[in-house]
Amino acid sequence: MSHDPAYLSLRRDHRRFSVRATTVAVGGFLLYVLLSGFVPDLMNLTLSGHLTLGLALGLGQFVLMALIVWRYLVHMRTRVAPVTRGLRGLARHHEKAAARGRAATVPSVAPRAGEYRPW
Amino acid sequence: MVTTGAAVVDRFGLQLTLALFLSVIVVTLFTALLTAPQRDEISEFYLGDRAMTPLRNGLAMCGDYVSAATLLGSTGLVALTGYDGLLYLCGTAVAWMMVLLLIAEPLRNTGRFTLGDTLALRLPRMQRPVRLALAVCTLTVTTLYLVAQLVGSVALLTQFTGEPSAATRTLCVVVMGTIVIVYAAIGGMPGATFIQIVKAVMLVSGVTVTAVMVLQHFDWNLGALLTAAADNSGSGTRFLEPGLRYGASTNSKLDFLSLQLAIVLGLAALPHVMMRLLAPKSGRVLRSSVVWAMGLVSLVCLAAGILGLGATAIVGRDTIVQTDRKGDAAVLLLAHALGGGVLTALLSCLAFVTLLAVAAGLTLAAASSLAHDVYGEVIRKGKAKQTEEVAVARLSAVVIGVLGMLLALISWGANTATLAFLAFAIAASAILPTLVYTLFWRRFTARGALLSLCGGLLCSVLLVVFSPVVSSTPESLYPSADFAWFPLQNPGIVSIPAGFLLGWLGSVLGRNETPEIYEDFEVRALVGVD
Repeated sequence: MSHDPAYLSLRRDHRRFSVRATTVAVGGFLLYVLLSGFVPDLMNLTLSGHLTLGLALGLGQFVLMALIVWRYLVHMRTRVAPVTRGLRGLARHHEKAAARGRAATVPSVAPRAGEYRPW
Repeated sequence: MVTTGAAVVDRFGLQLTLALFLSVIVVTLFTALLTAPQRDEISEFYLGDRAMTPLRNGLAMCGDYVSAATLLGSTGLVALTGYDGLLYLCGTAVAWMMVLLLIAEPLRNTGRFTLGDTLALRLPRMQRPVRLALAVCTLTVTTLYLVAQLVGSVALLTQFTGEPSAATRTLCVVVMGTIVIVYAAIGGMPGATFIQIVKAVMLVSGVTVTAVMVLQHFDWNLGALLTAAADNSGSGTRFLEPGLRYGASTNSKLDFLSLQLAIVLGLAALPHVMMRLLAPKSGRVLRSSVVWAMGLVSLVCLAAGILGLGATAIVGRDTIVQTDRKGDAAVLLLAHALGGGVLTALLSCLAFVTLLAVAAGLTLAAASSLAHDVYGEVIRKGKAKQTEEVAVARLSAVVIGVLGMLLALISWGANTATLAFLAFAIAASAILPTLVYTLFWRRFTARGALLSLCGGLLCSVLLVVFSPVVSSTPESLYPSADFAWFPLQNPGIVSIPAGFLLGWLGSVLGRNETPEIYEDFEVRALVGVD
C-alpha cells in the first residue's frame, strides 16, 4: 500500500497540515513568550482601560487554538477520512484475496477467537 | 512548605472537608473494586473499558492532565505575579495542542499497551535495549511527579492545620500513598479511569462555579476585576505587565523561556497521559475525545486565570503571602472570602482528590511500564502468561507506591514545583524526541533512540544538579555549597535540543534500519487498522 498514489498524496497533505498547524500553535506561543520577555514596552501598549496588548494576545492564544482545532477537524473529515476509508477497504480486499490463495493450497484451520482480539 | 503556619479554614470547614473527602474516597474505592479487571487479562488491566464515549474519555484525559500544581500552584502564581502567571497557564493549554496535532492518532494506531510497544514495532531489531531505556526514563519521570504529588498533599495539609508535626506528616503521606496503591494495583485502568472522571467533573464544575462567582462579584466587568487586582497587588499596574517574576535579568528571562519550552513539549510526553491515549477503540473516538479534553483543559486554564486575579483583587496580596509564601493558598482564601466554609471545603476536597487521581494515573503508568516492558518483554522475552504479567503489574504498583511514599517522606521540604518542572524537562528531552523521530523520521534507528533517551535523561538531571536549584542560593538544597556553573533553574532550553541532536546523531552514524519496516509502520500510523 505504501506505493499507492492515493496514499502518497494523503501522506504529503497530512504531513504538510500537521507541520503547519503545530508550528503556528507552538511557535505562536513561544513567540508570545519571547515578546513578553524581551519587548515589554510593546506588550504594555494600552488598548482600553487595563487591557494591554499583552493580555489581549494571551486571550488571542485561546482563540488561535480554537481556530486550529476547527481547521484540524475539517482537515481530518474532508481530506483524511475518505482516503483512509478507501485504503482500509483496499487492504481488507487484498487480505481476503491472499487468504483465498492460501486456502487453495493449505488446508485451512478454523481460527480461534482468542487469536484475533483487536489491539 | 515555608509557611507561617496560619490555617485557612476554621473547625467547621475542616470537618466538612474531611467528610466530603472521605465520601469521595469511599465511593471511588468501592467502584474501583467493582470495576476491577476480573479475568486478569492484560488488555483490561492496561486499557480499561475501551468502549467509553468520547466525552468520558475526554474527561479522563483532562483528569490525568491537570494536576494539583495547576489548580493551586498556577493560580497562586497568577495571584502573586499577575501577567507572568497567566503566561504559565496559557502554556499548559498550548501543550495539549501538541498531543492533538502530532501525537494522539499515530500513537494510538501503532500502539498497543505502552509506548514501548510502538517503539518495538518501529525498531524491532534492538527492541529490548530500547524498551529498557524507555522504561528507565518513564520510571524517573513518573517517580519524580509522584513524589511531587505526595509532597503536595503535605503542603496542602499545612494550609489546614498549620505546620504539621512529623507524625501527622508521615500519616498524611502514608494514607494518600496507600489509597493510590489500592486504586492502581487493584483497580487497574478501570479503577483509575473512574477516579479521573470523578475528579475531572469536580474540577471543571468547581473552578467554573468559583470563576463565575468572581465575575459576579465584579458585575461581569473584566476591567473592574483587573483594576481591583492591580490595586491590591502591591505593585500597581506592574502587576498586569510582563516581568514581575521573570524580568529581573536576561538570565531569568531565559529561565522562563526554558520553563515554557519544557512545559509545552514535556506535558505532551508524560507517560500517564500517553497511556490514556491508547484506550479508545477507534481513531474517530480518540479524535473526539482529544478535542473534548482540549476544550475542558482550556476552560480550566481560563477559569484558573480568573481565580488567580480574583484572589488578588478580593483577598489582597498581603493575606495570600502571609498564609503561604508561594501563593498555593490563594484559591482556598478566595473561596473562603466568596462562599464561606462550604465553598472552601468543596475546593479543598477537590484539591485532595486531584492529587490522588494524578498520583494513581502515574503509579499505573509506571507499573505498566515495569510489568509490560521490563518484565514481559525484556526479562521473559514475550513468553510471560497474561495472569503472570498482571500479577507483576499489581506488584509493581505497590513497589512504586511505596518508593514514592519513602521518597516523599525523605524530601518533604522539597519544592513541589521544582520536582514537577524537572519531570517535564526529562519528558521533553528524552521521551518526546524519541517519540517524534519514531513516528515521523524514516532514518531513525535504535542507536539514535538509545542515545536520545539516555542522553536526554542524563543531560537534564546533570544540568539540574549543577544549577542554582541544588547549590549556591539560600533556597537551594545545599545552600552552603557552591558548584552551580549552570545559571538557569530549568534545563529545558539546553537539554531538549540536546535530546533531539543526540537522536539525530545516533541515527546518522549507525547502521540503517530496513526501510520496509518504516513504510509499514507509517501506513499503519496514518491509515490505522481497526
